Amino acid sequence: MASKNVAPTKTNLIKLKQELKFAKLGHELLDQKRNILVIELLKLIDQTVELQDRINDALANAYRSFEESVLKMGKLTVVNISSAVNVTTDIVIKDRRVMGVSLPIVDTTFNEFPPYYSPTGTNFWIDVALKSFKDALKILGRFAELKISIIRLATEVHKTIRKVNALEKIAIPELTEFVKFIQARLEENERDMFILMKMVKKRLESKREKA
Amino acid sequence: MKYFIIGDEDAVLGFGMVGVFGRVATNPEEAENAFNDAINDRNTGIIIITERIAELIRAKVDRYIFSERFPLIVEIPDRQGPLAGKAGIRDMVNQAIGIKL
Repeated sequence: MASKNVAPTKTNLIKLKQELKFAKLGHELLDQKRNILVIELLKLIDQTVELQDRINDALANAYRSFEESVLKMGKLTVVNISSAVNVTTDIVIKDRRVMGVSLPIVDTTFNEFPPYYSPTGTNFWIDVALKSFKDALKILGRFAELKISIIRLATEVHKTIRKVNALEKIAIPELTEFVKFIQARLEENERDMFILMKMVKKRLESKREKA
Repeated sequence: MKYFIIGDEDAVLGFGMVGVFGRVATNPEEAENAFNDAINDRNTGIIIITERIAELIRAKVDRYIFSERFPLIVEIPDRQGPLAGKAGIRDMVNQAIGIKL
């Protein structure tokens, strides 16, 4: 390992110990962050799977009634009528933050000014079509919100997992090894010094005896 | 902000009824043009795109879904129903991010 590049001094030891402490703290925090994100993600996924089915049903319904009204009244009439329908949708997109990830919140409002067309001479399927498309659109806003949230959360989870792993598998073991290495060297030096002192003392004493 | 729909004629007409502005697309160029228009319009909040059209410009759609913050993009099945063999949301997450849930 690269431990041989570090000079075994006390300063370095203190520095590395601090670094190790910091890395461990970071690891702990990131681990918590990952757990929170995953919990949030699971919650959203369950909701989305359910919503997906509802969307598919709502759209199938809408397309079917639209087709039916085209069959009954002819495309031209349907196009004419639909251009007469004066419904406007407005969405407000807000932000919600989870662990520093911004997730959208979609709010859909409809502005309606009925009636749009004469009930005589029009088929009832056009009413159904209009209603079902509106329903579908209502769910779609929520669906878009969930789906994008999931994608963003998942990306963040992925990033966090990589960071956690990097700290756990590389940074922390490496730092621990450095610290161990320096500590061993310092102790070794101390013992060297101790023996040296003993020897000097012995020599001085034997000199004094001779004198 | 507004919705914007890109899809086949039925989808665009249908959503047009409830006040969603949209463009009909039948081939990759049209889809790409419509998509660019939708993105360049600052008033577009959510782009609704049918799965079959999204398939035509998959690379571009995915880039926007995964890396851009705005606008939001949502894929819907068209008149012929959901695309067979399309990965669900769980698989999509697994595949794109590489984490098992």
